[in-house]
Amino acid sequence: MSEASATHEFQYSSAQHQAETAVSGMWLFLATEVLFFGALFLAWIYARHWDEPGFDYGAQQTSLVIGTANTLILITSSLVYSVGIAFIMMGNSRRLIQCCAIAWLLGAAFLILKFGVEWRDDFARHLFPGTSFGIHGPLRGGAQTFFVFYFFGTAIHGLHMVVGLVLVGWVIFRARRLNFSASYFTPAFVVGLYWSFVDMVWIILYPLIYLVGRGT
Amino acid sequence: MTQRLRQLLLTWVLLVVLLAIEIGISFLPLDRSARPVVLLPAVLMAGLVGVVFMEVGRGPEIVRLFAVASLLWLTILLGMGSLDPMTRAMHYVRTQNTLASSTEQQPGTAAP
Repeated sequence: MSEASATHEFQYSSAQHQAETAVSGMWLFLATEVLFFGALFLAWIYARHWDEPGFDYGAQQTSLVIGTANTLILITSSLVYSVGIAFIMMGNSRRLIQCCAIAWLLGAAFLILKFGVEWRDDFARHLFPGTSFGIHGPLRGGAQTFFVFYFFGTAIHGLHMVVGLVLVGWVIFRARRLNFSASYFTPAFVVGLYWSFVDMVWIILYPLIYLVGRGT
Repeated sequence: MTQRLRQLLLTWVLLVVLLAIEIGISFLPLDRSARPVVLLPAVLMAGLVGVVFMEVGRGPEIVRLFAVASLLWLTILLGMGSLDPMTRAMHYVRTQNTLASSTEQQPGTAAP
């Protein structure tokens, strides 16, 4: 990142060195997150293999409309945040704030749709695994396993979304105090990496939950 | 600036197109074991987000190293982890519960 004119902490040789360290650190953290979610994806492979008909039947009970809407929301949110970064690279702090605010609202909309609407409906239909699970018959076991994956996967992803909302809010707060400029915007860029990564995880979770078992 | 905005917008359009393809594929009458091909557009989408939105090409070389290493570790995790389910033959065992339920479904059948 070209931030040669900005100030830097004493332990770095230059502002560019500081910026590169921050970006590299976030990428290293994201690499550990890949493995964290990798275990979840491996659990999906195992769980589906154990009882494919039941697992796929469970997947067919999910709301494709809400899942697809949420995917579009996150893709758009990532786009808007990236546009904000492009603006701050030109020194336009006001546009960065506007883009971050839209990205934040889209993220909040995702959470409302996921937990306020979809989960609520799932609970009402007794799809939470347990003794009162609403699916009976030979597919019950596989369907329950699917919903264990579904609730755990979406909860973990939702938790990452909440962290992302806090971080985007923090970027808005700092941008409003004119902390960022064309020569210094590393925190905003690093938060953008995290935000897009959470989007990326959903892009993989979406077909695992809503699509693979749909057409069987 | 305009070029970057155009690039971002084009990427978003590509992502939406890939999403539509992904949904379309999911409704094809594929064999149950072949259904994970539905994931292929999703992998492309994740790659697009990484390259364009996250600008993996930007920053020092070590960023690319971390990105490639994470994919390598993920491949090892999923590849080695999948060996067992991909190669194990499933033999279902009839337990007392399934025997009991099958007896319930067929009244008059004597329990073994």
